[in-house]
Amino acid sequence: MFGLLSGDNELAKAWFTLNVNGKKRRVKTETDEPLLWILRDDFDLTGTKFGCGVGECGACSVLIDGIARRSCRVQVQNVSSGQKIVTIEGLGTRENLSPLQKAFVEYTAFGCGFCTPGMIITATALLALNPNPTREEIIEAMDNNLCRCGSYPNVIEAILAFTNGSKPSP
Amino acid sequence: MEVTRRQFLRSLGSSCLLYVVSYVPGSGMQKIDSEPWPAGNEDIECRFYALDTNYLDCFVFHEDGSVTVLAGRTELGQGFETVLTAIVTQGLDIPSNRLEIILGNTDVCPDHGPTVGSSATEQVAWGIWEACLQLRKDIILRAAKTHKLQVKDLIYKGGVIRSKKELEQVIKPVETGRGEIVYMTLDPQASSSDRVTLEYKDLGLDNVNAESIVTGTLKYAGDLKLPGTLYADWHIPPYHRKLTRLKSVDLSDAQATSGVSRVERIGSKVVAVAERYNDVVKALARVKSVCEKPYRPKKLRVEQEIRAGAVFQEIKEQTGDVNAGLASSYKTVTETYRTHYTAWAPIETYSALAKMEPGGNEVTIWSGSQYPHRVRELASLNLNLPESAIHFIHTPVGGAFGGKVAPPVSQEAADLSRRVGAPVKVIYSRKNQFQKRGSFKMACVFDFSTGVGTDGRLQARKLDIYQDLGEGTRDTYAAPHILIKHYRTEMPVNQANSRGTSYVQIGFAQESHIDMVARAIGHDPFEFRRNNVALESFIPLIDACADMIQYPRSGLGPDEGIGIGLCNHGARQMGVAAAHVKVDRKTGKVHVKEICAAFDIGTIINHRTVTTTIRGGIIWGLGWVLREEVKLDGHSVYTEFLTDYGVPRFSDTPEIKLQFLDNERPGKPRGCGELPVIPTVAAIANAVYHAIGVRFYATPITPEKVLKVLGKT
Repeated sequence: MFGLLSGDNELAKAWFTLNVNGKKRRVKTETDEPLLWILRDDFDLTGTKFGCGVGECGACSVLIDGIARRSCRVQVQNVSSGQKIVTIEGLGTRENLSPLQKAFVEYTAFGCGFCTPGMIITATALLALNPNPTREEIIEAMDNNLCRCGSYPNVIEAILAFTNGSKPSP
Repeated sequence: MEVTRRQFLRSLGSSCLLYVVSYVPGSGMQKIDSEPWPAGNEDIECRFYALDTNYLDCFVFHEDGSVTVLAGRTELGQGFETVLTAIVTQGLDIPSNRLEIILGNTDVCPDHGPTVGSSATEQVAWGIWEACLQLRKDIILRAAKTHKLQVKDLIYKGGVIRSKKELEQVIKPVETGRGEIVYMTLDPQASSSDRVTLEYKDLGLDNVNAESIVTGTLKYAGDLKLPGTLYADWHIPPYHRKLTRLKSVDLSDAQATSGVSRVERIGSKVVAVAERYNDVVKALARVKSVCEKPYRPKKLRVEQEIRAGAVFQEIKEQTGDVNAGLASSYKTVTETYRTHYTAWAPIETYSALAKMEPGGNEVTIWSGSQYPHRVRELASLNLNLPESAIHFIHTPVGGAFGGKVAPPVSQEAADLSRRVGAPVKVIYSRKNQFQKRGSFKMACVFDFSTGVGTDGRLQARKLDIYQDLGEGTRDTYAAPHILIKHYRTEMPVNQANSRGTSYVQIGFAQESHIDMVARAIGHDPFEFRRNNVALESFIPLIDACADMIQYPRSGLGPDEGIGIGLCNHGARQMGVAAAHVKVDRKTGKVHVKEICAAFDIGTIINHRTVTTTIRGGIIWGLGWVLREEVKLDGHSVYTEFLTDYGVPRFSDTPEIKLQFLDNERPGKPRGCGELPVIPTVAAIANAVYHAIGVRFYATPITPEKVLKVLGKT
């Protein structure tokens, strides 16, 4: 990012309007601020996690116009106010889980849970494009979301169960 | 305000009935021999641990019928809270919404030692189960006394005492003594007539944190925020921590970064503190530092270095005369195996929030830890404050695996909070997560000489172990002559425990070697193991795996193979795995098609938790043997990214079949956190041999190594 000379950064700050989980939110920030930290620090949406900062783990995945994107690699200046951002908090609440979130509970599709919001976001994007993915299609779509606890088999089961209604035993 | 554990318990006691349960040492709870901690070292490693406190679990019975349990050990994503919930709701017969479990708060929770070694369920959860059963009995006795009733007329049901004659007469536990503190000593070995017996049933409880996890509302340390919180992270020397120091730094560019409140050299590191994490990242990128480059050979040839510096430590096991045994054997097989450096690589990097009170004399720290009391002890040393002035509150952990026992991040956050006079949240960059501590699971070397008789029985086992602790060698294979020695070498990186102290490394080496011994005399590897295992209870596990994976089978495709691995984890947990692989001759990639594994781990508290943990352990093992490696040379660690390191992915996921033979040896649960990794690594290596007839003596078995070997053959 050019122009960020020491001491002159006030110039690089600007107001941005974002559409997050169906609400208009305004924030004054540096233009190259990653969306991840705006969600976490300015909007208190901490379900979106920092795992690597370079877009290789998927823990910070959010939907932007329905596509799963790495929010650590999306600068705020590259998101327009017309684009719809959806975070894990926008998919369901504890009282009203989305069907996919329910499937993740039922199949214990997590270990420590740190990567899980990113997993659910990525799977939500997959299912919007392809409501009945095969095991192979699930693996392909999810392959860049990392889980160190190795919950992959459970995640695959949860997505399969959600999509085709067949019930592999949890 | 300073609240000690004692004060907290007293404050509860005024309106509650409080049970403080201690355990007869050596009974239900295991006391572990310890080695003193090296003092004052901030980058400390957990090797062993001291337990000089009594095991004091607390059960608080409230007026509204709810119960609070304060216990030791922590939830690390392994499902410990779920296990405890299953145990206490059943043990005290109460619904889960009337149970509160507090773990890892050093003000109020007992010190049960670190949550390591797959021992929490066995050592703590099962003790709590026994305590619940004893509590039921004790509360009936108390109710009989306070309400002048006959014990024989009373039953404990639904968390209360009822009269058998008049079922509507209900006595809540708290009514037997509001404000009382009852000290109960539990001896699970006591004669059965003195004990309540109740068979535990797995009711298939959901993970207690499931709904918070799937909605993103579970708050990890990095998710917490106090007014005025500042972020911080470190710039570190590029060389091995043990060998280098910072010579000079130029911080002017970094300090001029907008939004940064402080950039400062502290010892051999530079810290940046800012309101926004991205500004910390920017400032650290602008730090210019000059470090002493340690004098070392450019290429760290691990095996040679380990051998050259080896110092004999101890004899691990000795029986008979191993040299005579080898000399008189029909065939002997002599081989060397080497393993590689690995990292924990949790998805949550080290994170902690700390708030030092004005005056700098009292601090609260929030972080995820495998040993909160150890964090408090270290903070006390580092901050020069009494332990009572340090309040550590355990938060959910985004993966620990041995790497979050008492990592420096909590000390750093507390120290920085005192320096800057505001709450500080330290979050490590991914690069720092890999490189800053300079601690890895050690590369190890194993020299085997094994003799076998014409009858296919092992005669002599000689093993020299370098670096590895050699746990898991005992009681796996029987032989009349055994000599196992342990050597250590000081290396430029620190030894750390990862999914176990050493079982994975020895598991790979020993099981690969045993396969070669079997093949040297033309025996089937499954059958050879059936004939030579030290414990009979391995045989049904081997049979179960053979059955699940259909071994022996005809019709394996070209370059496909099936292999087996065994593990006896501390004589408590036993596991066998069989792997079916296909080796791609074009890419060199080993595709693991299926893993079938069987375990003997005692009573299972929650099959869903265990299955999730074991599947995850199998995938960990797959990554360990085929993909992951920390890259380092004489000077530096180079691994910086998760993808470089080789964390396994969805596309690595094999079909997994599991069997639990817990009915064979029921009773106390024996844990399974580390166990599934160990037989998996060996089973895969042995399946690769079966597939292409090539033995890999060094891990990981990467596509590059496979291609190289296939090119030569």
